[in-house]
Amino acid sequence: MMFTLSQIIFLLETLIFLAAVFMHLVHKNSSLISLYRVQSFIVCIFIFGSAIVTSSALLMFVGILIFGVKVIVAPYFFTKLIKAYHVKSTSSTYLNGPTTLLVVAVLTGLAHSHYFQPLTTLVGENPDGLLLSLAAILISIFLLINRKGILSQMVGILSLENAIVSFAFLSELEATPNMQIGIIFDLLVWIIIVYIFAGMIHEKFGTLDSTVMNNLKEE
Amino acid sequence: MTIIIWTIQLALVPILSPLFLGVLRKIKARFQNRVGANIFQPYRNLWKLFHKDEVMSEDASWIFRIAPYLIFTITIILGASIPLFSTWLSNNLLSDFLAVVYLVALSTFFLALAGIDVGSAFGGFGSSREMTLAALTEGGFIFSFLALSFLAHSTNLFFIASAVSVLPLFSFTPIVLVFISFVIIMLCETAHFPFDNPATHLELTMVHEAMILEYSGKRLALIEWAAANKFLIFLALGANMFFPWGLTAQTDAWSVVSALGIFVVKVLILTTFVAILESSIAKFRFFRLYDLLFTAFILSAMAILLIL
Repeated sequence: MMFTLSQIIFLLETLIFLAAVFMHLVHKNSSLISLYRVQSFIVCIFIFGSAIVTSSALLMFVGILIFGVKVIVAPYFFTKLIKAYHVKSTSSTYLNGPTTLLVVAVLTGLAHSHYFQPLTTLVGENPDGLLLSLAAILISIFLLINRKGILSQMVGILSLENAIVSFAFLSELEATPNMQIGIIFDLLVWIIIVYIFAGMIHEKFGTLDSTVMNNLKEE
Repeated sequence: MTIIIWTIQLALVPILSPLFLGVLRKIKARFQNRVGANIFQPYRNLWKLFHKDEVMSEDASWIFRIAPYLIFTITIILGASIPLFSTWLSNNLLSDFLAVVYLVALSTFFLALAGIDVGSAFGGFGSSREMTLAALTEGGFIFSFLALSFLAHSTNLFFIASAVSVLPLFSFTPIVLVFISFVIIMLCETAHFPFDNPATHLELTMVHEAMILEYSGKRLALIEWAAANKFLIFLALGANMFFPWGLTAQTDAWSVVSALGIFVVKVLILTTFVAILESSIAKFRFFRLYDLLFTAFILSAMAILLIL
């Protein structure tokens, strides 16, 4: 069986989508981070592939930067956070398990509905892949909304960013390499800030659960 | 040649099933730093049980007496009705996925009846647990094959296997989702972790073992053999419905032998996967199993959404 390039890209997009879905199913923060690492690694493959096709050394450099920040630095900080504040489990959600899955299924259906079909005109070869990346965007936003734990919400934001990058890649709306360097620098700064901010929240409230933060001011 | 191939199809599941159970136990033992029993130990166990006398409760009715024969026969019929190594052995009556799902349900039903028949407390709670799980499993099981049948435009398992083998990679997103769902269903139906622990007789955890606690001798041998058959049937369904490469459409000896070899390798890989899974996860609390089964159902529903 011979696989074409667009089929391989579609398969990788499927893995990004599945990682976003499984982020809702896992109960351990370490599993959540592993899924984010897989997602980020696939995004790196997209960038490296694009760099090879366009023979761009700058894009290759961007790929290495993304690999460093998303696959190594971000998971490192999150793992440190888990160890420092003993937040191994992240099972608390606003909706229960079955309802969460129902919403995920509805979001997937919505991404494939006629409302978003016009988006497929952006891309000639891989329309299903584009709709999958759209589904991954919606599912990541839902992770952000549904989880009570701050760490899950952080991973949700980063998963959303990964899904947006894959959407841009598939719709051939990628930013210029210089712009991508700027974005990855922003991301690095964001990761450092949320790491420090999470530490401060834990110091103040003794937990990383966002539901206990009812009173942000001292009384 | 056709008669020989049909004979192989009919006999393959009951002959090989204890072997794969032995392989599973061996791999699990190695994971626990034990040497473990020989992979042929399940055959010896069956031999031993077939030569033992039976003890039967005086309260046992005809259901208790007949259930092992019925359950074993159902697994033999199931084994002959699904694609094992060939795509041309299809029959319209029993190779339909609904027939397969409901034959599995029928064997579960009789096993549960046999469990409560003698009136022991263990049999009662085992049957109760089994039927609770079976009710939740059935939907996911049907939906997982329904997704494949939408892809193949047929409900016949042999046609589905042929159609899936020529699908482009673009069609594999729903198949991946359905496979994950099927694995969850398989673990539940075959009484493996995280649903059941086949190696324990603890009152708090056992499901399948509780129902067959009153059996002994030949009938116990048949029940154990039927359980091994069911495990191999599910492995074969997993290997041939989702990865249907290697099935032969030819009737010559070389094609059949190579297809049989590929079948054994695929099933061995799946057995190893189940053994690794069983060795790396703990048994779930009973009330957490609903979520897992609902996950299987939703994953299949998502796959159908993607296909439609």
